[in-house]
Amino acid sequence: MRNSGAMLILTFIAILILQAAGVSPPGKPRLTSCRSPEKETFTCWWEPGGDGGLPTTYALYYHLENSETVYECPDYRTAGENSCFFNKNDTSLWVNYNITVVASNALGKNISDPVEVDVVYIVQPNTPEHVTAVVVHDEQGPFVRVSWEKPRTADTRSGWITLLYQLRVKQEKDKEWEEYNAGMQKYYNVFSLHPDKEYMVQVRCKPDHGFWSEWTQTTYVKMPDYITRERSLWIMITIFFVFIVVILTWTLNVKRNSVKLCLLPAVPGPKIKGFDKQLLKSGKSEEVFNTLVIQGFPPTTDYDNLLVEYLEVFDNEEQELVLDGKDLSEDCMKSKSPSDIDSGRGSCDSHTLLLEKCMDGREGSGSNQHQYSQHGETRWASTESSESQGPEPGSPDSANGRGKTWPVVFSSPQPQPHHHYPVGAAKPAYHSVPEILNHLSPHAMSSNYHQLNHQDILQQERRFSKPACRHSQSYNQFNLDGIDTSAPGVAPSPSLEYVEVQRVNPENMLLLRPLSDPNREPEGSDCTREDYSKVKEVTSNNILLLQRDMSHQCVDDYSQADQCTTQQPPHPCKPAVHQSNSGMPQEAIRVMGNGYVDSTVLINLAPST
Amino acid sequence: MCAFVSINGVGLNDLLERASQLSDKLHSLSTSLTNDLDSHFPPVGRVMMPRPSMCHTSSLQVPNDKDQALKVPEDELLSLARSLLLAWSDPLALLSSEASSLAHPERNTIDSKTKELQENINSLGAGLEHMDSTSDNLSSLPFYTNSLGQDKTSRLVNFHFLLSCFRRDSSHKIDSFSSKFSAAGQPRRDLRCVREDMLSKCKTGPLFFVSKV
Repeated sequence: MRNSGAMLILTFIAILILQAAGVSPPGKPRLTSCRSPEKETFTCWWEPGGDGGLPTTYALYYHLENSETVYECPDYRTAGENSCFFNKNDTSLWVNYNITVVASNALGKNISDPVEVDVVYIVQPNTPEHVTAVVVHDEQGPFVRVSWEKPRTADTRSGWITLLYQLRVKQEKDKEWEEYNAGMQKYYNVFSLHPDKEYMVQVRCKPDHGFWSEWTQTTYVKMPDYITRERSLWIMITIFFVFIVVILTWTLNVKRNSVKLCLLPAVPGPKIKGFDKQLLKSGKSEEVFNTLVIQGFPPTTDYDNLLVEYLEVFDNEEQELVLDGKDLSEDCMKSKSPSDIDSGRGSCDSHTLLLEKCMDGREGSGSNQHQYSQHGETRWASTESSESQGPEPGSPDSANGRGKTWPVVFSSPQPQPHHHYPVGAAKPAYHSVPEILNHLSPHAMSSNYHQLNHQDILQQERRFSKPACRHSQSYNQFNLDGIDTSAPGVAPSPSLEYVEVQRVNPENMLLLRPLSDPNREPEGSDCTREDYSKVKEVTSNNILLLQRDMSHQCVDDYSQADQCTTQQPPHPCKPAVHQSNSGMPQEAIRVMGNGYVDSTVLINLAPST
Repeated sequence: MCAFVSINGVGLNDLLERASQLSDKLHSLSTSLTNDLDSHFPPVGRVMMPRPSMCHTSSLQVPNDKDQALKVPEDELLSLARSLLLAWSDPLALLSSEASSLAHPERNTIDSKTKELQENINSLGAGLEHMDSTSDNLSSLPFYTNSLGQDKTSRLVNFHFLLSCFRRDSSHKIDSFSSKFSAAGQPRRDLRCVREDMLSKCKTGPLFFVSKV
């Protein structure tokens, strides 16, 4: 009893001393992991718990699940420190291993917790080997082909172990890896890598039921610098369109004006003479439109006089007698044929006028007419005999009691008293101007004539070579002559003749000439080509100066005009041939470019006479 | 000589591929089931857990390691597989019936997975039966247990145990079909075997049937 007590006390003291010295039995080791790389062998690693200050030895013991035999680890060295390697012979599959580790030192030992291990569940293969990554150039573009070898220890050929592979790729600067599962094959094509970049590649594997292996060492691969086909296509398209745009812009620039015309057509502005656009902009329409207003237009009553004062038809008494009654009415009706109302002969041959004249003629005193007739006849004879009988322009025969300024038109062109026209219905109530003129000379022509003085009658038989001013009395007598000479060709009554004003003599007489006059100057045919005479200007004495074209054919006219000038006093003969400007009237005459006189001027002149 | 064989219109390759897929699926299911059970397993259950030798299939002699497995002829491997599958049809039926009433928070998941397990086992067994119609070599592994236990703890423990036995049997035993008939690196279309001589003369990898001892 005392011995055991003494032993206990000694042991206790020894422990205290030992603890004071810092040594202790080892700590409890711990099995960390067991792994089998190929399902044929396996290794277990443990962790020491602390050696307690004294050298400690470790021993691993195991027993299989269906036996109690305890075995010790066959190999402590192969796998390194604190490990136990089980080789093929010692490895059984589908069997639980009960493994414990015992740590022991001089002071004691310590046993770890037991661990149950089934080898098939702890398979973790080694890393794949010989990882290579090469760039493959394809028509689609380059890509990287990664290939590797299985881990050396794994027996996949017999099918004992089946490995699944996995690889991952990233650039150096990336944070995340891009992982790809390669299945059981030992290569993989990586697409869609950026050109001119370096990539890192790693591979690992796993058995169909087990743990993933470690990643291999990094393999580097550099992508070549290339342009994807898609990008090159876009680049080409872009360049093409830019080119097209440049061409279009340049073309538009060159054709700037025509484009402007096409897109913005010119808007015609108002082009009225005398129209001031500025006034329009200012908004005062009154002023604007006032400029358009011509003072005195439309003409006032004088104009009426001008228009209305036309030729008066004066019939012989005989004619009157004949025309009395029915014939008169008939003729008057005939005169009213509407087709002739608007003919060029208006003032001369107006039917309405004639009708009035018919009426007037009827109403007129027979004495007057008788006088007329007599006078006409008388006069006629005198006219015929004399060649150069001065005209009696303005002899205001009171026979023409009316205030009409136009000469009276005789309806009877008969030169001889005994010569009568066949009176009949065939004879129209109106006569052509030449006929009229036959009777004009003896009659009163008021001084109110402005323009036309149908007095002088040109003798037909006289040639036109003679200055007409000499033959002022001799006007269109062709009808008469024709009648005298019984020229059948000239139909006295029904023919309508146009008369051309040849010139104006100083006595304010119109020298008329029929258009169909055969005695016309042949060489002057060109001169008389035009039907109308253009009025050049009006002199102060209200002489209309007619304008003619300057042509060689008219030289004779010039000469005639000169003769006129020499003979006649103060009013210089100013035939219209000379387009001289001397002594022109002071009134502003607006002659239009085409030779026509502005009617407004005429109207303005009207009251001045 | 080997010739390409088709069984019921389905090529041998396809059959084997289906078998391998099924067995792989079986293993996955059993592993996940085991993990689900382990998540809320009472510590006392580990103590109560029967030893793996208590599995009713433990009497089946299977190769223990690679060398042994490589030496086993393929027809024997096939009959082993079929025997195992046959032995598990009843227990799985029990498991699926008991799964819904387990004292486990994830019993619903466990229930569905168990049922799926049962379906796969049956189809795999049927497929293997086509490959080897001879039933002479089948070992009988009867399963006599009708219930898992009386109290909920024991039932849970027994459920877990049975499942672990199945997992072990299925994982690499039946699962080994897949890669063995398609030796790694060899395309499966090269497989040309007459059904009768298939296992002995086929140049592909052997079947590996290992069950726990």
